[in-house]
Amino acid sequence: MNNKPSLWKQTMNKVRTWARMNSIGAIHFNSGSCNGCDIEILATLTPRYDVERFGIKLHGSPRHADVLLVTGPVTRQARERLIRTYEQMPEPKFVISVGACSISGGVFDGCYNVGGSVDEVIPVDVFVPGCPPRPEAIIDGIIQLLGELQGGVPRPVAKPKIVEEVSS
Amino acid sequence: MSIEQKLQTAEQLLAPWNKETIRPEENRLDVVIQPEALHEAVSVLHEAKWGYLSAITGMDMGVEAGQLEALYHFCNGPAITSLRVRMPRNEAVVSSIADIIPPATFFEREIKEMFGIEVNGLAVTDHLFLPEDWPIGVYPQRADFTNEQAKAMEESHVDQMPEPGRVGENTFVVPIGPQHPALKEPGHFSFTVDGEIVTAAKMRLGYAHRGIEKAAESRSWVENLYLFERVCGICSHTHAMAFSTGVEQLAKVEVPMRAQAIRELVAGLERVHSHLLWLGVAAHEAGFDTLFMYSWRDRETVMDLLEQITGNRVNYSANLLGGVKCDIGEEQSKAIKEGLSYLETRIRHYLEVVTTDAMFLNRTRGIGTITAPEAERFGLLGPTARASGVMRDVRVEAPYGAYIRYPVSLVTETNGDLEARCVVRLKELLVSCFAMRSILDNMPDGPLTARMPRKIPAGETVARIEAPRGELFYFIKSNGGEIPARVHVRTPSLCNWVSVLEKAVGRQLADVPMLIAGMDPCFSCNDRVVTVVDSATQENWSWKRLREYGIEYYSR
Ligand code: SF4
Repeated sequence: MNNKPSLWKQTMNKVRTWARMNSIGAIHFNSGSCNGCDIEILATLTPRYDVERFGIKLHGSPRHADVLLVTGPVTRQARERLIRTYEQMPEPKFVISVGACSISGGVFDGCYNVGGSVDEVIPVDVFVPGCPPRPEAIIDGIIQLLGELQGGVPRPVAKPKIVEEVSS
Repeated sequence: MSIEQKLQTAEQLLAPWNKETIRPEENRLDVVIQPEALHEAVSVLHEAKWGYLSAITGMDMGVEAGQLEALYHFCNGPAITSLRVRMPRNEAVVSSIADIIPPATFFEREIKEMFGIEVNGLAVTDHLFLPEDWPIGVYPQRADFTNEQAKAMEESHVDQMPEPGRVGENTFVVPIGPQHPALKEPGHFSFTVDGEIVTAAKMRLGYAHRGIEKAAESRSWVENLYLFERVCGICSHTHAMAFSTGVEQLAKVEVPMRAQAIRELVAGLERVHSHLLWLGVAAHEAGFDTLFMYSWRDRETVMDLLEQITGNRVNYSANLLGGVKCDIGEEQSKAIKEGLSYLETRIRHYLEVVTTDAMFLNRTRGIGTITAPEAERFGLLGPTARASGVMRDVRVEAPYGAYIRYPVSLVTETNGDLEARCVVRLKELLVSCFAMRSILDNMPDGPLTARMPRKIPAGETVARIEAPRGELFYFIKSNGGEIPARVHVRTPSLCNWVSVLEKAVGRQLADVPMLIAGMDPCFSCNDRVVTVVDSATQENWSWKRLREYGIEYYSR
């Protein structure tokens, strides 16, 4: 049997990808960062970098977002909230981990209240290194994600590693 | 009064309880007192108006010594008097001094949860930085607690803040955060509202608490410089500067004048970037996004300058122990001056906007007014205090480094409302720009660094630096080794939080974001919990009392 999706489905996928590509809703979560990464994320919104020209807009609620930007090592107390925020986002969702801390714990690796990197808690699609990464690097991270999306392949549904623990 | 006279006055005042006097440094006096005498001694200092309580440092002398120590630092200009209270490890109790000095509550809660020093009469006993389900009897700052022990501990699974919902006939709890659209940092607030009016405000921080002070005790002096720079990404230079100043004082190393001038220059640029950032955020909270975009656009000028000087936009690591790593040449000096001229025009323009734009004034004028006595009582610091007419600026009171040679003048306002806070910050920038110009015009010659020993001689020191948000306090202790024995950081935001939450009660919920933004909060550096305490009676407000207060306000 032919496994190829029907023409209708193919067209719809294309339309969906096109729409998604041009209107990315992002949300920012600070899981214990030093603020350095956060102000650089904010700087991407402002006139010099103007990330809105790619159709990317920062939203206030996870329910409106496609992309989660996480900064900072995951502290004990923020961990639960990070998972919660991730869960509240509609599918398909993508995670960009911004900054050395969120990738490996950075300078804070080994501190007693730091659990570790973001990808130990939720699945991450793009890592943007730097302490902090320049706004250009953050934009590049988002663009790489868009490139991946452009392939048009519907991604398998991402599953957080600890989803059972929080469901109640 | 000279430093010596001030310290003598303090010594006389404290004479009845004095067990031992130590003079660790020229400007410091340490007085050892019994735990029972603490309350009385503090009230005498307070009544004589000898300075203000700047920080309480906890220390663990080690398992063998079996002693804990709490240091109550009072600052009066450049003079510092520290009350040292020594207690046995297994029976450490002091009495609370929050009835005399309300902001001491935070410091006390910190030593309680970090060192296990019991504080009698503490009104709020919740955790300050640690998760609520942190095991009882485990104190992370004690000498026998290791980071490995923490790794072995279970993950925290508690989310202790209330869910949104109706709690009374007309009262609701509105939880905000830690992920929320307004601020870029994680703080959790819960506001109880009666209609539109806030009747109670509570805040839970600790989402960004990482345990830096503990980590410092296992890293070398040089590694720590970079660690402390990352306490906060906005005022990173000030943290690095405070740490290196402290270490240099301990090592008795004289930093070359040129290095000091460059430090002040970078600190000045950092102040411009921080205040413009704040102006943007405050404008955003007020619904004035145009101003947000403009001020952030102009801020990029400073970011470029910082990048040109140091090679990085944020966390620039301009400091080294003993000096700075980057020089300022002719070309850079010219670029900075050009940048400053542009910024000065823009700052003047913003000054006009914040004082004349009707829409913005509606959100700032007469809102969140803090009078001078209130500011003193809350222990406010930095521009927030100066907007209420309190003269508090370390650069002026106790000049350090290059500020002796290139002084800045004090900027104060009297109204104490949000508008005054905008004005103070902007005027302060003009003063900073002026000081930066005079540095560039009279740049001293000489080397950039002095030689630092790898091992820092044993001793204790205090470094106070004026950060963009207020006085930053570092206490550093060395045992003569390659790593510090203790570093205690007291950041300015901590002292400013109380005021916001107290001022939120009785106002409309819509004003709250502006109030919070008005003090320029910083979570990553302080991370604590605040509950509203009735300052007159020192009690937690009961539900009923809060409700009555709200209704009373509403019907006014
Ligand atoms: S990566 Fe660097 S700038 Fe970003 S949060 Fe961590 S320490 Fe701060």
